[in-house]
Parts: sequence; structure tokens; C-alpha cells
Amino acid sequence: MNAPAITMGESPARRALKRFFRHKLAVFGLVVVVAFVLIALLAPFIAPYDPLQTSWTRIRKPPSAEHWFGTDENGRDVLSRVIWGARASLMAGVISVLGALFIGVPLGLLAGLIGGWVDGLISRVADAMLSVPFLILAIALAAFLGPALENAMLAIAITASPVFVRLARGMALDAKSTDWVEAARALGNPPWRIGLFHVLPNIIPPLLVQASLAIAEAIIAEASLSFLGLGQQPPAPSWGSMLNSAQRFLTQAPWLSIMPGLAIFVVVLAFNLVGDGLRDALDPRADRK
Amino acid sequence: MTALLELRDVVKHFPVRDALGRRAGAVHAVDGVSLAVAEGEVLAIVGESGCGKSTLGRVMLRLIEPDSGSVRFAGEDLASLSPAALRARRRDMQIIFQDPFGSLDPRMTVAQAIAEPLRLHRVVPRAEEAARVAELLRRVGLRPENAGRWPHEFSGGQRQRIAIARALASNPRLIIGDEPVSALDVSVQAQVINLLRDLIRDLRLTFVLVSHDLGVVRHVADRVAVMYLGRLVEEGPAEHVLGAPRHPYTRALVAAMPGAQTKTPPLEGDVPSPIAPPSGCRFHTRCAYATEQCRAETPRLEGAAHAVACHFAASLPAPVERSAALGGGERLARLQGFFRGNAPSPIGMGDYA
Repeated sequence: MNAPAITMGESPARRALKRFFRHKLAVFGLVVVVAFVLIALLAPFIAPYDPLQTSWTRIRKPPSAEHWFGTDENGRDVLSRVIWGARASLMAGVISVLGALFIGVPLGLLAGLIGGWVDGLISRVADAMLSVPFLILAIALAAFLGPALENAMLAIAITASPVFVRLARGMALDAKSTDWVEAARALGNPPWRIGLFHVLPNIIPPLLVQASLAIAEAIIAEASLSFLGLGQQPPAPSWGSMLNSAQRFLTQAPWLSIMPGLAIFVVVLAFNLVGDGLRDALDPRADRK
Repeated sequence: MTALLELRDVVKHFPVRDALGRRAGAVHAVDGVSLAVAEGEVLAIVGESGCGKSTLGRVMLRLIEPDSGSVRFAGEDLASLSPAALRARRRDMQIIFQDPFGSLDPRMTVAQAIAEPLRLHRVVPRAEEAARVAELLRRVGLRPENAGRWPHEFSGGQRQRIAIARALASNPRLIIGDEPVSALDVSVQAQVINLLRDLIRDLRLTFVLVSHDLGVVRHVADRVAVMYLGRLVEEGPAEHVLGAPRHPYTRALVAAMPGAQTKTPPLEGDVPSPIAPPSGCRFHTRCAYATEQCRAETPRLEGAAHAVACHFAASLPAPVERSAALGGGERLARLQGFFRGNAPSPIGMGDYA
């Protein structure tokens, strides 16, 4: 018997994407995010000056045609530093959230699907971590690991993971009580296949929403750690460390703090808009609209 | 006939916990049920909602572990199987769920869902998979071109057909249908029931139909087991149990069917709580014939072909024929006659014509 031509249906992901693109603010957020990603990737080509090049003749000059964002206390071009700083911020945001997903989701799935003492152990540790304020824990971990951008990212990844443990666990518990998981069991699926091929694909939407919001938080956390000297190390630029050195010149050279501050604000806002849009697009209740 | 599935004294209680997590009691979902299903037979398990019939259906496949008692499939005690051996055994025993909107993984296409059992049990080589999926879809009355679509693109009836195709994929010997049509629109129910009946006949399936709908049961079942609060009260060939019910509970169920020929006082009150089931015969709180003996002594399920669990099964008054009022069937016949234009009006209007 020959197989007939098969019509492909509209997948749930495609449907969500369609809904996402109807959401104007979210699309705007996505455009801003993509723009910053391009800026970070193309920094060597679009930065007008070397971000590390100091000059004693151009110290703390206000914005001008030559230096759009002005120059800093060492005569470095602020625009170039903001452009290069996008690398540190976005990398810290994306990589640390990927790390948090990598740590949190498997643990959450195990806790939700296995239950019993495994759940008890994982959930109590996650609860304990969540009981400490996010930034305090990140600072403690980063200080323990030593000041470096990589360590800051690792600290943020660990600190952000309990949220994903809780989310994945809750969604796995929900999924466990559905008929389709029981059907998967009745078909003869081993437990690991149920977790990996049935439950995981179904909990990706809420994880995606949480991840995009977590990136915004991680960017702020990286900026805070760098501000405190625990992240990106001088002279390499990062928005947080730029704010740190700018605080001494708040009144004399306000552009030193306004420019990186604005960059943080815009990127964090953009990620939040994307997260909200994703939430609306992926919410199963939105199907009725 | 040999028994493909044999249950002996199966008990399943679900613990009920109070606010502090202490065990406060148990829902007596299944309380000592023994049953045998012969190869090629269609057994219906009927009863009101909450009587434990769905739990019993899941215990049959060891989707729920019984507290005690044994379940033997093809002579093999399912409880003795290792998890891996049990999974391999699932090739031969499948289930169709009640809710077609819940039983299909929303992130799998029709082809993926139906191919899953084929892959898990290596039923056909990968190269023949698409052809087998297409054949199964045709078999359940769906166009094979639809294999690439997602569950949300189908109606309830179509989804249930997909679930049936998935259950058939591994060529199982036994299929449990847990209220397979009760979540569907009435207009679709008949189509799906006819499909099931054809499949059972053509593929010589052994089928356990869990249902509260005696109309559906009468349509497909060879044998009927009636359940009340976790226990069997009557069991036997379908024409006997539905045609000449012996237990007062079965009589009430049969009399409540549309088109019933007999009259019985309708059941009063609700089903008692399965957390604290009545003593003795569990039906005594709602039975018109209950005596002191019924309150104290638990009746045993007795009888060879047509078994009944009632102390007074032999001495109950014969059911009253519905002669005074028109039976549902007779009324329907007269209505049909009227609309064909060759019979007097069923409400006497013909006199004025």
C-alpha cells in the first residue's frame, strides 16, 4: 500500500507565533532585542572608536558630533563602550538563563514526575534558595567564585534556577494527571520517554515565557554585579561597571551614567515586552479568542 | 473458550486524608471483584458514576495497582511482571479513554501519535510505518491525508477515531473502552459505536466496555457485569441481564432505559458514599425489598451462567409489564406510523381529520 500525500496541519507552535505577531508591543520588543543582538555581534564593525583607547586630551567631553555619547574620565568614547558593553550584558543575560534552564528544568521534571523523597529534597533546596533575595544570593555566590564575568554568569545561573525548578515541577505535576500521560503509559512508554517526549514538549511554552522575563532580570543582575565590581573587570566595558565609574561624576558628567543606564532600561523593557507577548500568545486560554 | 483476562478478588481503596495528612478513611472504589473475560468476547461493565467501574478498567491493565487480588492476562499474573516486561505486555492490551480532548498529546501530530505504539513495540519496520498509519486511519474512517495534522484541528468524534486507531496500532488482543462515546455528541455517538462494533467483529477483538449507557451496551455487549459501589451485583449474558434482570438494582437500571418494557419503582436517593459503604448488601439503602438480612449479611454473587448477588433473587416478584401506559418502544412505533401517514394520531387528533 502506498502512502498518500499528507497535508501538514498548523502546529501549536506556529499558531502561537501567529498570535505573537499580532501583538504590536511584543513585536516592537522583539525588534529592539534583535537590534541589540546585532549591535553586540557586530560591535567591532560599528563601534566608531576603540572602547579601550584612552586619551588625556578628551577627558569627560559632553556629547558632540565627534563623540555622540561623549567621553569618559579616561577619554574613552562612551558610544563605543556602550556598544561593546552590549556583549557583556546580553551574553550574561542569555547564557546565565540558559544555564538556569539547564539546571532547573531537569530537576523540576524529576521532582514532579518521580515525587516522594526526590521531590521533597529538590523542592526544599529550591525553597531555601528562593527564601534568600535574588541579588544577595547572586552577590554571595559571585564573591565566593571570584570577580570575573564568567563567574558572575554562573552565579546568576545558579540563583535563577530555583524559579525554573518550581515552574517545571508544577507543570510536570499538572501533566502527570492528564489522560494523555496515562495514555502514554498505557501504550508502553518507559518513564524517561514520558518525561522527555511527552511532558517536556508540553511545558516548553511557560518555560519560554519565564525565560524571556528571566533574561531581563539576569541583565539587571549582571549590571548590579559589575557595578559592585564582581562582574566584568576593568578596563573591559560593561554597562554595570560603566555606571560604577560614572557615579563619581553624576553632576559634572551626567552622560556617563545616562547612556549605559538608558541602554539597560531599553533592553530590559524590550525583553519584558517579548515575555508578555509570548505569555499572551502561548496561553491556552487565548485559543478561544 | 479460555479466559484471556481473569480477575480474582480485586480490591482497590483510595486513601482519603484529612487536612493534616492523616489517613481519614478510604474510598472503596473496587471491593472484591472477580471476573473473567473470554477471548473474543465483549464484556460490558455498567453502573452509575462513582461505582468504581473506571477504576476496575484501569486495574485490568495494571495502570492502577490493586491493593489485593490478582489480575491474570493470558494466564500470566500482571503483578508478577517487572516494569519492563509489563511495558512489553502493553502491546497486547490497550485502552480508549473517555475524553478525546484529553487523551491525545496536544504536541503530537496524528501520525506521531499513531506511530508511537508501532515504534515502542517494533510492530513494523520504519519504512512501512507511514503506510501502516494510513491503513489505520482508513480503518477508523479518517482520510489518511490528515496524518500531518494536530489534535486541535479535529472534532471530538474525529479525535476519538484517532484514539481508536492508536489503540489498534499494535494489534492488541484486549482493548478496554472507558466510556468511549459518552463525551461525544449524541449524533456522533452512534457512528463511533458502530465503528467499534465493526472493529470488534472484523478484528475479533476482546473488548471490555465500561459504560453507564445501557443503550450503548445493548448494542455491542455479549456479556454484562453490573457494578454497584465497588461490587458486582449481577453478571451474565447480555440478553439475560438486560432482558430478564434479576437484581433489584439492575431492574431499576433497565426500567430507566428509554423504551423499557417493564416498570419498577424508580431509584430513590443518591448513591451512598463509597468512603462509608452500607453494611450487608450495599444496595439495601435504596432497595424496595430490603429486609433485616440485607442490612446484616453480604450476599454472594451466585449462579453459573447468570449470576446475581441478592438474598432474594429467587423470590422477588416478577417485573411488571408496561401495559397500562404505552411503553417507550410502542410509543415510538406509533409516532413513526403517524408520520408515515398510515396510522391514527398518537394523541387522538386523527378523529378530527
